[in-house]
Amino acid sequence: MTGHLLEFRNVVKRFGGVTALDDFSMTLDQSEILGLIGPNGSGKTTSFNVLTGIYGPTEGQVFFEGQEITGADPRAVYEAGIVRTFQRSRLCLSLSIYDNIMIGDTSRLVRGLWSNLISRRRLEEQLDMTRRQARDLVATFSGHLADRMDQPVGALPMIERRRIEICRALISGPRLLLLDEPSAGMTHDETHQLMDDILDVRARGEGLSIIIVEHEMGVIERITDRCIVLSYGRKIAEGTYAEVAADSEVQNAYLGAD
Amino acid sequence: MTDISLPQSQPSRPWISAAAVIVASGLYSWALLMAEETWQVLSLLVLAVVATGVAIKTGFVRRVERDWAASETRLNRLAFAVLIALILVLSGSHFALLMISTVLLYFVASLGLNIQFGFTGLVNFAGAAFFGAGAYTAAVLGNVLVIPPLLILLAGGLVAMAISLPLLIPIVRTTGHYAAVVTIAFGVLFRTFLEVNEILGGPQGLMVNSMKLFGWDFYNAPSLGNLEISFYLNYALLAAGLAALVFALFRRLERSWIGLHMDAVRLDETAAACFGISVKRTKILAFLLGNVILGVSGALYGMMISFIAPASFTFSDSLLLVSIVLLGGLGSPWGGAIAAAIVVLLPEKLQLLQEYRFLLFSILVMLVLLFRPEGILPRHLRNFFPNRRTDA
Amino acid sequence: MDFGLIAQYLANGILLGTMYALVAVGFTLFFGVLDVIKFSHGDVLMLGTFIGFTAWLGLEAIGIVNPWIQLVGVLLCSLAGTALIGAAIANWLILPLKKAPQLNTLLITLMLGTAIREAVRLFYPNGSNPKAFPALLPDASVEIGSFALRADSVILVISGLALIGALNLVINRTRLGLAIRAVAQDEETARTMGINYTLVVLATFAIGSGVAAFAGIMNGLYYNEINFGMGLILGLIGFSAAIIGGLGNLYGAILGGFLFAGLQVIGAALLPFASAYKDVFAFAVVIALMAWKPTGLIPERSSDRV
Repeated sequence: MTGHLLEFRNVVKRFGGVTALDDFSMTLDQSEILGLIGPNGSGKTTSFNVLTGIYGPTEGQVFFEGQEITGADPRAVYEAGIVRTFQRSRLCLSLSIYDNIMIGDTSRLVRGLWSNLISRRRLEEQLDMTRRQARDLVATFSGHLADRMDQPVGALPMIERRRIEICRALISGPRLLLLDEPSAGMTHDETHQLMDDILDVRARGEGLSIIIVEHEMGVIERITDRCIVLSYGRKIAEGTYAEVAADSEVQNAYLGAD
Repeated sequence: MTDISLPQSQPSRPWISAAAVIVASGLYSWALLMAEETWQVLSLLVLAVVATGVAIKTGFVRRVERDWAASETRLNRLAFAVLIALILVLSGSHFALLMISTVLLYFVASLGLNIQFGFTGLVNFAGAAFFGAGAYTAAVLGNVLVIPPLLILLAGGLVAMAISLPLLIPIVRTTGHYAAVVTIAFGVLFRTFLEVNEILGGPQGLMVNSMKLFGWDFYNAPSLGNLEISFYLNYALLAAGLAALVFALFRRLERSWIGLHMDAVRLDETAAACFGISVKRTKILAFLLGNVILGVSGALYGMMISFIAPASFTFSDSLLLVSIVLLGGLGSPWGGAIAAAIVVLLPEKLQLLQEYRFLLFSILVMLVLLFRPEGILPRHLRNFFPNRRTDA
Repeated sequence: MDFGLIAQYLANGILLGTMYALVAVGFTLFFGVLDVIKFSHGDVLMLGTFIGFTAWLGLEAIGIVNPWIQLVGVLLCSLAGTALIGAAIANWLILPLKKAPQLNTLLITLMLGTAIREAVRLFYPNGSNPKAFPALLPDASVEIGSFALRADSVILVISGLALIGALNLVINRTRLGLAIRAVAQDEETARTMGINYTLVVLATFAIGSGVAAFAGIMNGLYYNEINFGMGLILGLIGFSAAIIGGLGNLYGAILGGFLFAGLQVIGAALLPFASAYKDVFAFAVVIALMAWKPTGLIPERSSDRV
């Protein structure tokens, strides 16, 4: 088995007649930040969905830390340490900030009916503990929200929601974070700030790896170690940002898509 | 209760207005239950509407809500005490006690439905079937004298759970409309089954033996000197105890990780699954737990009214239970209590409405869905930390 | 089992299947254009049947007694009235809730169904009792061995199937059908193509409701009895049929309708000692089918974008 953290081996995903991901292979190493770029509909989000178990791949295999996780259900993928954000923010708008963040963490906490309903000492301890953790995490991304943990998420502007979504993904201390267009709807400065915050959290823990899908090339250039370019479900280039940006096929793909 | 020092801005007794509302509701219920003439009932209704309007306009409602958030445990206890006091004060009146017990048992049933529908987003259009399963269990087991009657309540819950087992696979696998058809079909199936099954009495139904607790037959009126006391007092007190127990459990469920899972599953199944929450396990738990509660309340209801027939557990009755949940506000237990009171008491107190009750409530629910979909008393944000300082 | 009995079951199954399919296509049409379930469909059907019945009473009262003229009058009033009611419900109750959760539409129409049912029970003269619906079709029958083929059921089945066929033509061959299909595909695109969205939705609800009213009249003519509760069970069966067939698919609805009728007939045939259990059996199979195929036999396209 390879020493990679994550490996896609010849993954194919078809929807009816449409091939969303075509013979896609890639690897990701521990602590690496990988950018996944390409025009709309090129298979970036599909690769996230295949990885997180929302769809099973039509063909091919996926490995994480040497274990095959092809077609594993979303829960098993999460338990392996892979978390994600969604392209269109998927928070529970009627729940508080704290509740939303805790959704990212509860599977590590007491699960039994007895300890949730009857004998609640451990639950109370966990409440105190996680409240502090969640608050610290929110303070990193959005200082002023740390004192408003009981506000409903629906009352927050889109930018804050994206930050909360990243907090939800990070609260469980994952191994791999998948970011699906985190900067959508943000200004240049806000995006810059968000990336700094993510790098900041990453620097505190040990070796969080990140795959980021992004249209904002400035972001990709600044934070990624390596990029993969997809077009119509196929990998057309791979290398540092400078390398892929200079690639003629990449330039064609982007121009062709416009 | 913790000994926290309150911030300056709060009034010194942050429960007084909510406590006043509880006591006033108790008095109001007493007046409503004692009212005999139509004009009395109507003026009480007008009074309630006007008082609510004034409370909203003057901001009193917000103050009550603040109080409630600040001293919830204390206020819950007060509400229970007022309820018991109300039952004792009315201990001479069959009808009033029967009404109180019925409201309480419908309230308990609505809590069961709320776990399914309000928390987890599983609509159960067979609520009356599971309620009826409990009642029929009480009828059948009540004839077997070796079983202690308190266990019969439990058995009612267990039977309701047992008949929900075959539904688990379709409930877990389907969503939306497809899930609705499963419970609708089951509700009709159950009722048809009761009607054609001769052992269970067919369309005529069954007699149910009364509750016996520690050798005390609930059919006997307790005697206290020469006071005239209705035998329904037993049931009213037991129903109040059951309601308090289920209410406490409901609140604990809401403020637990499982409760959070239920909300997550209702609001976004895909995202919930991506964070390790088992959608299946959560739905199964909600469905079974809710049906057990429906079954237990149905068993006590059956014993109380002492005669049950399939016609009491129809699709319309299931819809009535769903209406209580919708009117009260999804996931809102106090809303459910108010809605249960409206749905049970209104037609009983205003006899001229009796005949029109299904029509009336269906129109009422339509209006609520159109103009106030969050219900009479919308559910609040989850407060994991009642009675604690909010800034950790 | 002898031939006569089997033929009897078969004839009965085909008649019921036609009736159920007529109800189910309404559910599927509404779901197609608006992605909603209009649960009051069955009760609208019942209302339509009562309108037809009232029309017959009126014709009797003014002395028109020719059964064929009566039949035409009954059908015209019933179908037109029901179509109007269907469109009105769509306009005032369903379209305004378009942005609300789908479940709210299901709930509001469930409540509307109850309101219609109760209103007929309470306000139609002597509405809580069954009404004797007139037998307007010839009561001749052909004996084939021990099996009597009733002329009225033949006429009913043929006209019911013809109506389904006509509906299919309307959906697949006309401009209106094209518009309906366009709206069902993608509302936004249909709008940009210049299709009057509201009008198409209203037309769809009118057509679906009219077709269901036909099933109601069929029911009345065959059993010669109507009552305020008939819509609930017919609606429920039509809903189940549309769901087991797979929502949003005309053929699925027809398949589901005949399947449900088949189940009832098989239930009655297999359990002759307890034919009362036939509905229990049919609904139990519906539940089992949902467990097996959670989105129906002909599944709708999944649209949950992540």
